[in-house]
Amino acid sequence: MENLGSLALLIAFCLAVYAVASSVIGGWAHKPLLVLSAKRAVYAIWFLLTIASFLLVHALLSGDFRLAYVAANSNRAMPGLYKFAAWWGGQEGSLLLWSWLLSCYSAIVVYVNRAKHRGIMPYLIATLMVTQVFFLILNAFVASPFRVLAVGREITAVPDGNGLNPLLQYWAMAIHPPMLYLGYVGFVVPFAFAMGSLITRQQGDAWIHTTRRWTLVIWLFLSCGILLGAGWAYAVLGWGGYWGWDPVENASLLPWLTATAFLHSVMVQEKRGMMKVWNMVLISATFLLCIFGTFLTRSGVVSSVHAFAESSIGKYFLSFLAIVIGVTSYLIITRLDYLKSDARMESVISRESSFLFNALILIASCLAILWGTLFPAISQAITGEKISVDATFFNRMNVPIGLFLLFLLGMGPLFAWRRTSLESLRRNVFVPGIAAALFVAALMAAGVRHPYALVSFGLCLFVIWTIAAEFYKGARAIGARTGRNLLFSVVELTHRNTRRYGGYIVHMGVVLMFLGFTGAAFNKQATMEVNVGGAFTLDHYVLRVASLREGDTDNYAWDRAVVEVSRNGSPLSRLEPERRFYKASRQAVSEVAIRHRLDEDLYLNFAGFTEDGSKAVIQAYVFPLVSWIWIGFLILIMGTLVCLVPSKTKFQPPQTHMAGATREYAPASK
Amino acid sequence: MTILTAILIVTGSILYTLLVHKKDLLEPERPSPVAPLEEYKERIANSLRDLQFDYRVNKLSEHDYEQAKLGLENELARVAAEIDKVLGKSAERVDQGFSPAQVKETSRQTACPRCGARFSQPLKFCGECGSPIQRSAS
Repeated sequence: MENLGSLALLIAFCLAVYAVASSVIGGWAHKPLLVLSAKRAVYAIWFLLTIASFLLVHALLSGDFRLAYVAANSNRAMPGLYKFAAWWGGQEGSLLLWSWLLSCYSAIVVYVNRAKHRGIMPYLIATLMVTQVFFLILNAFVASPFRVLAVGREITAVPDGNGLNPLLQYWAMAIHPPMLYLGYVGFVVPFAFAMGSLITRQQGDAWIHTTRRWTLVIWLFLSCGILLGAGWAYAVLGWGGYWGWDPVENASLLPWLTATAFLHSVMVQEKRGMMKVWNMVLISATFLLCIFGTFLTRSGVVSSVHAFAESSIGKYFLSFLAIVIGVTSYLIITRLDYLKSDARMESVISRESSFLFNALILIASCLAILWGTLFPAISQAITGEKISVDATFFNRMNVPIGLFLLFLLGMGPLFAWRRTSLESLRRNVFVPGIAAALFVAALMAAGVRHPYALVSFGLCLFVIWTIAAEFYKGARAIGARTGRNLLFSVVELTHRNTRRYGGYIVHMGVVLMFLGFTGAAFNKQATMEVNVGGAFTLDHYVLRVASLREGDTDNYAWDRAVVEVSRNGSPLSRLEPERRFYKASRQAVSEVAIRHRLDEDLYLNFAGFTEDGSKAVIQAYVFPLVSWIWIGFLILIMGTLVCLVPSKTKFQPPQTHMAGATREYAPASK
Repeated sequence: MTILTAILIVTGSILYTLLVHKKDLLEPERPSPVAPLEEYKERIANSLRDLQFDYRVNKLSEHDYEQAKLGLENELARVAAEIDKVLGKSAERVDQGFSPAQVKETSRQTACPRCGARFSQPLKFCGECGSPIQRSAS
């Protein structure tokens, strides 16, 4: 079985090398049969990697502990879902998942575009397959998941495996890594289109039109991956945070920031034919940061809570990154003539300039995070001493940047394309501006003193107001014409320009998430050692430990504290935080208990017992507004899905009667 | 069994990749000679739509709107003419276009009976308020 898996990886590698060569030669020498052969190689690679993945999953599910990967990442008592999730629980498996997802994307792209983009297709295939070759080198020669355990020359098996890391035995972990990888891997497709367009010196924006929806879907995957990771950290790590500026968390945020900048600036290219170089740089940076993210997760170059795998594969990633950076830079620099803007910026007060600002701010945030993430490794390389960068640095850099972005979210919709009149801008800003100022004054009167929180709350209201006003104004115009009610008009308005209004819905989701982030300024916590029957107070909650229980399953032993929660004498709920001890890996993890409410979460972590074993250690937290992060995220998903729906109407210029206009308006061109 | 499966998978994958014939080639799409122009035209058309919408929701001054609209319409006309030229139909549109008198007549003809907006080319519907415009309305 393991031989079959290794053979499939080896043949896939050979075919990927062949696909690169045949597609490039076929494209360069105009040999369509060679290009067709390269396309078939793409399908064959998908088939071979599917077989390899199937064999690994089968080994995990059936407990084939002759394989080193299965012995290290699975055990008999683990539930089936986590046995399956062990596919990406370790380094070799997750690299195979990367490869397999890439082969899926490649096969889909080649099939969907089999009769299109004849010019760029060979180079698109070559770009996809170069990436595939790189990952297959890792799969087949460096980190093979099909290595067997052996004593001398004899294959052996251990009676049971170590099991998946207990921190990964959580339902979101079955979705979070694949989602993140779908995002990471997916960006290779727009990047490959961009490279194909550059190599063949395409003048139009065909690659952008083709990849627009694709990029949006990938961005959604990446967003889902990041937020599921945040949810996992919140519910599993036991310290109540959803974001700790961990290097691997940062690594997932970096391509998200550049991809978000790309999604915005690409609109400027579509509408005005501007920012073409910028878009090439952004999509290339996004792809490179995706590879970089995988490198950070898998190389162990920086210490992280995600350092589930540490190895020497870093040098392979660095070499690949260096090659891609070199080739991409060369292509962009030598094709600058083809990337000239069709128009120029007419006014600073315009939508295109707001998109440019937005992109610059996102890039600034990206660079600040990148610097903070790499600083320990850089400082170690230069001075020999590792200087760690904590969350304070990232917060100090990113909170003001985030607030400015929030401000731009509010201002963006008020700008028109090309130029905006100052008078209308003043008029449109006035009411939401006053409302936000009054809101901040009311909060200050209520005793809120945190400066960033006040600014954030004010800006949240400002943005919600401006977005709501956009919907209202547009819907009112439609309602006046059609005579339908406001709700119908809002739906109609959104359907007429799904991209614009879907985008506003996404922005609304982001604002709600900011509301949730701002709540962190008012977090409260207490750690208490209590006996059964003992009680303590946190904020307005009274927490009484009613009982302590213990139990055992095949996979883990557990201790559970039953905590009764009351407020002002009236009982609210009963929470049961748990402490688990996983037998195979001999690790203890927490299973927190959370009381979710819109205004705040009450979060209990059973941290274990005091040294003498007489008292339970309970960590209690109050997290105001945190639920709005998850609500905002759901709205973000909804808005992105709306963006993917084709718009109902298209502007049809009055072509039939354009002759008169041509004659009248265009004498100079004659 | 494993060896047989391995042989089948390897030979199948390699033969599928290498054995390609001319009859397997799909008829490629015929690239339009005016594709970039059509793309540009669509971009201008979308810009016009955005411009009208932005003006309707008071993001633009009257002056900026008129100026931008005129510029876009000029550009649209120029691109339309260029497309025709490439397709070999330029004569009808530009070189043998309407006489100045006809153009003047055309301009005079189109004013919206409802909102009073004036348009230099005949329209079936008002670009401002959407009301139907009849030729006789002038």
